[in-house]
This record gives sequence, structure tokens and C-alpha cells, in this order.
Amino acid sequence: MLNQSLIKDIIGTVLKYGGDFAEVFVENKYENRIELTDGKIQKANTNNISGVGIRGFLGKKAIYAYTNVFEKENLLSVAKRVGEALSEVKINDLTLDFDNKKLKNRHVIYLYPRDVEKTEKVKVMKKAYESAKNYSQLIKQVQVWFWEYDQEVLIANSEGVWAEDRRVKARLMINAIAEHNGNMERGFYGPGTSMGFELFDRIDVEEAAKRAARIAARMVDAEPAPAGKMPVIISNEFGGVIFHEAVGHALEATSVAKGASVFAGKLGQKVAAECVSAVDDATIPNAWGSANVDDEGTPTRRNLLIDKGVLVGYLIDKLGGRRMGMESTGSARRQDYTFAPTSRMSNTFILPGDYHPEEIIAATEYGLYAKEMGGGSVNPSTGEFNFAVNEAYLIEKGKITKPVKGATLIGKGYEIIQKIDMVGNDVGRGQGVCGSISGAVPADVGQPTIRVSEIIVGGRNK
Amino acid sequence: MTYNEFKEKLFSIAKEKGFEAQIDLSESSEFSLRYANDDIDQYTDASKFSVSIKILKDGKIGRVYTEQLENPEKLFEEALKNWELTDSEDEEFFYDGTGKYIEMDLYNGSFEKTSVSEKIEFVKKLYNSAKCDDRIVMVPYAMYNNFKVSKKISNTLGLDVSTTADGGYSYAMAVSKDESTHSGLWMEVGTKFSDLDPEKIGKTACQNALSLLGAKSVKSGKYRVIIKNTAFEDMLSLLISMISAENVQKNMSPLKGKQNQKIASTILNIKDVPYYKNSISNRPFDDEGVPTKETPIIENGILKSFLYDLKTAKKDNTEPTGNSLGGSIRPINLLVESGEYDFENLLKKLDDGIVIIGVDGMHSGANPISGNFSLGARGFRVINGEISHPIEQITISGNFLQLFEKVEAVGNDSKIFYGIITPSILISELDIAGE
Repeated sequence: MLNQSLIKDIIGTVLKYGGDFAEVFVENKYENRIELTDGKIQKANTNNISGVGIRGFLGKKAIYAYTNVFEKENLLSVAKRVGEALSEVKINDLTLDFDNKKLKNRHVIYLYPRDVEKTEKVKVMKKAYESAKNYSQLIKQVQVWFWEYDQEVLIANSEGVWAEDRRVKARLMINAIAEHNGNMERGFYGPGTSMGFELFDRIDVEEAAKRAARIAARMVDAEPAPAGKMPVIISNEFGGVIFHEAVGHALEATSVAKGASVFAGKLGQKVAAECVSAVDDATIPNAWGSANVDDEGTPTRRNLLIDKGVLVGYLIDKLGGRRMGMESTGSARRQDYTFAPTSRMSNTFILPGDYHPEEIIAATEYGLYAKEMGGGSVNPSTGEFNFAVNEAYLIEKGKITKPVKGATLIGKGYEIIQKIDMVGNDVGRGQGVCGSISGAVPADVGQPTIRVSEIIVGGRNK
Repeated sequence: MTYNEFKEKLFSIAKEKGFEAQIDLSESSEFSLRYANDDIDQYTDASKFSVSIKILKDGKIGRVYTEQLENPEKLFEEALKNWELTDSEDEEFFYDGTGKYIEMDLYNGSFEKTSVSEKIEFVKKLYNSAKCDDRIVMVPYAMYNNFKVSKKISNTLGLDVSTTADGGYSYAMAVSKDESTHSGLWMEVGTKFSDLDPEKIGKTACQNALSLLGAKSVKSGKYRVIIKNTAFEDMLSLLISMISAENVQKNMSPLKGKQNQKIASTILNIKDVPYYKNSISNRPFDDEGVPTKETPIIENGILKSFLYDLKTAKKDNTEPTGNSLGGSIRPINLLVESGEYDFENLLKKLDDGIVIIGVDGMHSGANPISGNFSLGARGFRVINGEISHPIEQITISGNFLQLFEKVEAVGNDSKIFYGIITPSILISELDIAGE
């Protein structure tokens, strides 16, 4: 990490040549990725990532530069280029007084992954492999990945922010492949947390592997999902990807500030069904998307986004805040120093409602039960989203009947949240990696079981 | 520590411990501008370098990656730990660099020579061109990017190759509005600054957004379909995963065991080419230092070859194809050969059906193991060989290999994307879900 006087020099250089705000982001990240296929460790990678991001603002204009040559001369020349690109305003008398108070770490780590022998990690992976492989004779191949990282960041800016944070994450990912009658299907499950190796005392590795195997085995002989508009019940945990894609991205300042979101200018208005409330909360201890401070050094907080159907908040970073005339909500994130930060979700979920999941199924005459969701994507400016259902069943006369595969759900986010008509009481969260303009970041999605009264299901026609 | 000092130190530690070693240095820089709301929205000017190290003994590899040229001893130890963990039965190799490399000049230098103010003018023009009509309510972004990458791979067997490449790309999105909003996107790549025409890119994005005004869904059913190059480009990522010899050998490709069999319509020809004029992904050697070469994949509908790195080639008792890229096996330029139909004639041949211009959700709604896909889509209804009206809020679904069998005609409108070159194709039948 860089010392305070050099950081002051960098910030001072940006402001001397131009701009009214300067920020330095320093990162050291140690990462391990291990891959197991066919019961054998195929690859083990260790990555040491380190670099510096320098950013300047002038009004609503932003310039970003990064480098991983840490020499003073180079850093000051990069800072000068940033300042010159901003050019117009010059602040010559800068006195910087960093607010050096230590933040309380809410995400206590017991076993730093780098302190645990890699062979211990491999033991966990092989246990997952055996469990998935033995789940059913249909399972023909299993892949297991172990991913951990330990990221230290230092963020300082011309407003006196000085923040240091250490983010430790660990994740196990299991991909099971079933084969039957020439058909192949896969099932995936990937639990992760902001924890050290103690994650594996908290989760049942064998159960996690069985979950991936179950999806593959049930889906391999399933009929194609029906096509067309129908009611869809979306299960809890990773089911929350529907809110993440359909609504969450469109609440990020990145698109709201430009007016490029269907939710721009709608604060205080009713945008969703009354049974829908949702939050983004990066403060949940040891959750996958949590951090003590965001990537601009702003302490993270719980942000209520939708309250009983009414839009009450956006996710805002500093630049978005300047453009919107609003404060940062501690939502700036980036994959690493090679990306300028922007507003992103952390742990986002729909709050619990009144129904038991069984009641929701029993109240549905015909429709699709989406038990395990895959990923999805959205175009925030049109609200068009799509996402894949990895494990699905038909609902007929209030009962789950047969498995169906290959369903994709599409629609427009602002329409879908008005069509949620039943919300369960079983909130759970699932883990994903969210990709957007500031790179791939760990994010939790979550919800209770919900029903959408009508949605287009992309399946096959009879 | 200089790069050479670092490399020599690492090689000597490896030799001492009875290992071969390989080091891959990559230095890259990028410049990008994003324009939105009548101003520069993001400006990035950056550079970095990285070093990938592999050590080899007993057919096993240990890997470590770093962004600082320091502590080769510690990095070797880390690689050694990873080497110890690996228990794969597949034998790994290094390449000695004795093969013949195709000479290609991949560095033009025009992007570096172009001034920042010219690039700012470029994105302004791009942005304004994307607003070509009053019905465009927004241009969420107009993007310009250029890059330069230098790569150098050396190992203790004598491999020592290097290359420098530059390139650029630009894209814009425009949004039009009636009762709902519709987006239009266009992107082009260039090997020199003058290849990129901001007015053309912006205008095309604009016209694409306008063309969807009045779009509605269609009745679910089976339709004849043209998949435009802009949509087929996205869908071809499924094929990329299926032709990787690694996925085939690990029983994760539906093409396993189908070599020399007919898997597609006889008019379909697909190959991987290391060099294609105006492409920005050309490569003389892959990430193992192996020379790249032309590899036929599908010839007249018959599956000819998979793509190989050193390890998978040895396992199948064949030659590596030079396709080890970024830690997996990928094509350099996946090329779908042009057919005889221009787009107007393709429409006539379609007669009654749907043109798909874009798909959403490839990373989630398409399954490379089964080949099944179900994707959000948009395009146009075609009646009597003419475009009748725009369509959105539909999905297309099917199996990628069945789709290959149903190719009825191939267009001559080839377009270069990043690493993929493809024309539009006509499919005799595809499942569409809508109303």
C-alpha cells in the first residue's frame, strides 16, 4: 500500500492540473482458484493482483486511469494526465486532512483462506465431487471449483476520506452433468460468503453437491417447458435474480442519473404491487456481497428501495450523486483497480410477505414453478429482462406435477413488479457474480417464494 | 527488478529444483471514451502489465500469476504448491518454439497517433449521429475504445516469441419510444482509426432503434426464421464451447464422438482462421506459444475437427491447433463462410416468417452441454418476402445442433465481430414463444 504523503501528492497533482475532486484507490488482492473435473485436480491458479486507480471529477465529468507500476514518478505522471484531461478548474492551495478513524469490521474472519493449506481445500472439493457423483447413476461428470480471495483496499480522496478495508470471500461451485438416452443436462449450485475457510463448517458440502446433482438428474429426461404467457411461481433464494435483473439494475444511479432508466424521476411513486418491498444491504455480516466501505470509501448501509410498492430509494455512487444532486448511498463497487467504480447492488432482496410457499402453489390452477433460477440480464433503458430457469415443474390444479426444462422468462421489469400478486414468508438468499460496466462483483440475490400473475415463458410449442 | 532479471532468476530456480518453466509477459494499454447526456461520461487512460508463470515436471503444471516483478523465489514456491495439488492424469507439455509461425503485422499505430481531441470529436459525432431522429429519446452511451497489447512468451525449452497488436472498436445504443421503449445497437471494429466511421455507427444504431417502433409480440408457434449476423454472432458462443477438445474429452460436449459425421446442413461451412483482414483478434501464436493455423471445423455439414491445445492434442494423438487462449480452448477468428444470398434475396427465400436481429441471455439461457437454448429476441415479421412490422417480447428456443441441420440458406452479408465473422442464415423452422 502507498504511504500518506505519496497519496497526498497524487491527489494534489490531479487537482493542480485540473478538476475539483480526486481519488486514489490502491488494491492488493491474493486469489486462489482450484478446478476439479473427473475427480482430479486439473488446475490450481494463484493470482496476485495489485494496482492503483486514480480518478478525477470536474463537475459531472469523470476521468479514470490505472496503472500497476507503483513508482512515485509514474504515479504522479498518471495523476498529471488525469488532471490535464479535466483541465479547466485549478485548485492550487490544497490542505488535505484525512479522516483516519478506523471502521469497525462487521465481517469477522476466523480462518483466513491463505493460512489454510491448499490440501484442506482439495479435501472439501473431493467430498463435494463424491457426493454429487454418487447422487444418481445418471450423473456422468462433476466439476467442482474452489474460489477464494483476500482483497485489501485503501481509498483516499480530496474530501479527506481515508478508508481501508479487507474483503475476504470464499465460494464453492458445483456443476453436475447428467446423461440419459443421449440427452445431457447440467445442474449448478454455488454457495459463497464473505468468510474465511470456516465457511465449510457452516455449510453442508455434501448437501450442496447433491443440490447440483438433483437439478441435472431431474432435468435430463424432463419434457421441454410449455411456451407462452402463464402464471409463474418463483422459489426463494436465487429466485431473487428476477428482482435483481428486472428492477435492481434500473435503480442504479449509473442509468438513473442519465435518465436512462424507466424508474428515473419516480421517487415516491407507486411502481410495484403493494405486496412488494425490497432492500439492498451491504452490511449483513459475512454475506457474499457485503463490505465495510464501498469502493469510494463511503461506509455501506442498508438501503430501502421499494416500500409497499412505492419507490423510495436508488443505489448511488459519488459521480451518480453529483449528476442527480443526491448523496451517495455507499453503493460504489468495482471488480478491481482496472475499473472505475459505479453504483452497483450488493445483497439485494425482496422482504417477506404473508403466505406459506405451499399456499401459493395450492392457489395456482395452472402455471410454472421455477425452483432453481439460472442467470439473467437486462437492458435498463428499456426494462427488457430475460433469465433462465434451471429447474422447473408444471403446476396443475394447485399441485406440482412434472419436471420441465429449457424455460426462459422474459418481460419488462416495470411491468413484472406490478404483477407480483403473492409473496411468501420464506426469505432466503443465493449467490451470484454480477457483471456490469465496473466489472464482475460478488452479489447476493434473494426473496421469499413469489408468484407473478403473468409472464412470457420461452419454451417449446407442442 | 527488470523483466529479464526476473525471468532469468525464475528459470534458474526452476532448473535447480528439476522443473521446466515458462513465463508469459503481457503489457496492455487502453484508452476509452464514453459519451452520454451531451458530455463525456467516462474517460479512461490506462496501462498495466502482468506475468503468468507455469512450472512443469512429470507432466504436471503449477501456475501463478502476478502483477509485480518481484520475489521470484516466493512465486516459485506458490507455483510449486499448486503443482503438488494437481493430480490430473492428463499429461501437460511446453512447446519448444520450433514450428513455423505465420508472419502477420498486427500493429498499425494509428490509434496512438490520433490525438485525444480527435477522439473526443469522434464520440461527439457518434453520439449526435445516434440521435438521428426526434423519436430517439435517449442515447444511453456512445463508446470509443482502442487498445494495444504486447505479448512475450519464453520457456526453458527455448521458446521465445513475441508480438504486438493494436485495434479499436466503437458502439452506440439509441432508444426510441412510443408506448414503450426500444433499443438499437451497433458496433464496429477497426485495425486503424480511419476504419471506424462514427456517423455510420451512430446512424445504424439510431435506425435500428427506430425500426422497432410499434413492435409487438407474435403468437407462439413454429416459424421460418432468418437469424441475422448480429444475432447469430452471439449464438455462436455455444459452438465455441462445443468444439473445445477439452470439453469433448471431459464428456461435456454434445459433439463428442461425432467427428466425420454429418451434423449440419451441407451448405454450412465453418472454420477457424488465425488471420482475417480487418479483424482485431488475429494471432500468430496462442498462449502456449504454439503457431496458429487454419482449422476446418464444419465442411459441407460434416464435423471435421475440434480445436486443441498441447495437452488435449496429445491425448487424442493429433497435432495442437494453436487455440489455447486465456486459460481455455477458443477459436482465434471463428469464420462462418459466406453463402450466395444477399439480404433481400434471403428475405424472398424466407417468404413467410421472422427475422431475428438480436438475442438476449446467451450466458444464461443457452446450455453448452445439451445445446439447448431459450433466448429473449427481437426482429421483424416477414410476409411475402417483405418486412411487415417489428417484433419484440418473444423468445426463440431450440437445440443448437438441430438448428444447424435446418440451415436452408446462407447470406453473403458477413460482418466482423470480436473473434467471430459471420453472415446471416435462414433456418427452416424454429420455436417462437410470445402471446
